[in-house]
Amino acid sequence: MNGMIDGMNKFIAIVGSNSNKSTNRELLQYMKKHFQEQAEIELVEITGLSIFKKSIDKYVPQVARDIAERIENSDGVIIATPEYDHSIPAVLSSALAWLSYGIHPFVDKPVMITGASYGSLGSSRAQAQLRQILDSPELKARIMPSSEFLLGHSLEAFDENDNLKDEQIIQQLDGLFKDFLQFVDISKQLNNANTVNKQKAEEFSWDKD
Amino acid sequence: MKLIGIAGSIADQSYNRTLLQFIAKHFSGLVDVEVLDINDVPMFNQDDDQTDGAIIQNLCKKINSADGVIIATPEHNHSVPAALKNVIEWLSYEVHPLDGKPIMIVGASYHIQGSSRAQLHLRQILEAPGVNAIVLPGNEFLLGDVKTAFDDKGDLKDQRTVDFLQTTIQNFIKFAKVINMIGETNNYEEEDLSAQNGTDTTIKGIDMNADDWLDRAANKVSAAEGNDYVKLDSGLLTVNQLDYFLKTIPIELTYVDENNQFLYYNHSLPTEKMLAKRTPAQVGDALDKVHPNIGRVFKHVKQVISALRNGETDLVSMPIPGGDPQKHHVMHYYKAMHDDENNYKGVNEWAVDLKPIVDEYLKATGQKLVKDPNAKMDAMSGASKKTTEEKPEVEVDATSSASKH
Ligand SMILES: Cc1cc2nc3c(=O)[nH]c(=O)nc-3n(C[C@H](O)[C@H](O)[C@@H](O)COP(=O)(O)O)c2cc1C
Ligand SMILES: Cc1cc2nc3c(=O)[nH]c(=O)nc-3n(C[C@H](O)[C@H](O)[C@H](O)COP(=O)(O)O)c2cc1C
Repeated sequence: MNGMIDGMNKFIAIVGSNSNKSTNRELLQYMKKHFQEQAEIELVEITGLSIFKKSIDKYVPQVARDIAERIENSDGVIIATPEYDHSIPAVLSSALAWLSYGIHPFVDKPVMITGASYGSLGSSRAQAQLRQILDSPELKARIMPSSEFLLGHSLEAFDENDNLKDEQIIQQLDGLFKDFLQFVDISKQLNNANTVNKQKAEEFSWDKD
Repeated sequence: MKLIGIAGSIADQSYNRTLLQFIAKHFSGLVDVEVLDINDVPMFNQDDDQTDGAIIQNLCKKINSADGVIIATPEHNHSVPAALKNVIEWLSYEVHPLDGKPIMIVGASYHIQGSSRAQLHLRQILEAPGVNAIVLPGNEFLLGDVKTAFDDKGDLKDQRTVDFLQTTIQNFIKFAKVINMIGETNNYEEEDLSAQNGTDTTIKGIDMNADDWLDRAANKVSAAEGNDYVKLDSGLLTVNQLDYFLKTIPIELTYVDENNQFLYYNHSLPTEKMLAKRTPAQVGDALDKVHPNIGRVFKHVKQVISALRNGETDLVSMPIPGGDPQKHHVMHYYKAMHDDENNYKGVNEWAVDLKPIVDEYLKATGQKLVKDPNAKMDAMSGASKKTTEEKPEVEVDATSSASKH
């Protein structure tokens, strides 16, 4: 895929929150800056999208199609999700529904799940549900296994220069990101079935009997 | 029992909505189910709080006044549809109408085991602290193969499915009764009869319990008076004209605002001649100053106001006892007032003697009254009936009722 021209991976980072001041956005901005030598990270907002609605002509808004294209052209996706009521926010769930409705940008795409929340558990339950969602037939993302980045007490996590304060958390994030880079590389070698998998996702339909 | 049905779909055609409509129709002998629409609920956004808007307020009011909720969820990408989750987010942010509310989950899907994962997620969501609903355990109702499940009248074809659904609903009714009984504590205790909190129209800086509150408060806000014009929703009158008008209405009217402050009554009779006695000096008083703190009076006043404020009922009525029943049948009505956005705005309280009206009717139609040997008389009836039948705590006994001003 793309991004290989200068050898650096190109990632799309989805901000799973529509808040003006989002700690999940802060986290992704921090990652973009912190990992700039290792990868090119581009933030994507989902605020402009309407609530997912089925229609007979399978209409998908242009904003969603644009996001899908950026995901297609990337080497991987990072998602930062808040936790609302023990699950991912409706705005994120809605975006993922659009991104699986007759279009399939996530199929076989390496995904790293992160999340920040005000509480101490740092969106763990939302992340668990997000895994199940990304694993459904029309998304079929390649989620990085056995990794979890939870940023609890996210309102107090950053200093005045927007850097993570806690050295231990930074180390954990560094380790996970290194793993993700390797996961992406391995993924690229596992793409023999990708055409078939895309085909399967495209042919798959919940509307079928 | 009154239930609210919410279909977790905003699609133009939804099998989950059809399922709820079938439940409402087919089990109408068992329960009264009102199916609500979530199509116009805006996207949840912390920075654009629309809790006070008519859409969320209406959902809230309906849920508050129901004994339970049935949610029918489709499954989208192994989880609940965004449109449904979105509603729950609004109902767990600034308001929490699902708190302590019994909920039954059902789901229809195109597949055999469809919606099972969505139902599981929904349980986790509803049990999160901000929502805090009480979900009926077990009793999973999954309607698979939904495309062939209904006939063209929208009825479920398979009798065994209908029977199973009936059992599930009966279990839910029992469950909801128990849960509501436990939750019966009813937050009426939170009603502040001393009107300390104030509201946006409360006139500050003047002792509301003072005898001359009216003059001082009117002065403070430079109130319109005399021949000043007041523009109303459908009319234009001077203050004097309003007074002429209100004073000649043959019903005693009282206005209590949402802060439990007694603001007005249509003063035309001397106090001793009134059905519900009021004095000019009481105007402006907090409700705890207009009611005597004896017996269970305060408790009953609080229960009535709380039921109106929380939408448990829109109207409470009760006879005022005493006097000669041959000559008078005085009724007291308490009606909730709301603004355009459905916010509670206080109580419109009126007292009227029904006996002359009945007499007049009998005279005009040449009829007379006879005793009904089967009659059961109750002291109070909420407009929704539910209040008297199932919520005895809200019942106000006539002898020490809120009517003794
Ligand atoms: C984006 C999308 C994702 C879906 N994912 C699932 C799924 O994970 N599991 C499932 O059983 N059905 C799935 N379906 C099919 C839905 O269950 C079906 O369309 C449902 O919405 C029917 O309910 P309704 O008629 O009340 O809308 C999906 C449909 C759409 C449009
Ligand atoms: C409706 C609602 C529900 C929430 N539920 C949870 C929750 O279940 N668990 C939790 O840790 N935080 C919860 N929170 C607080 C969130 O942690 C916090 O708003 C969000 O994750 C921070 O993300 P952001 O800064 O990127 O917007 C909730 C917030 C809202 C508005």
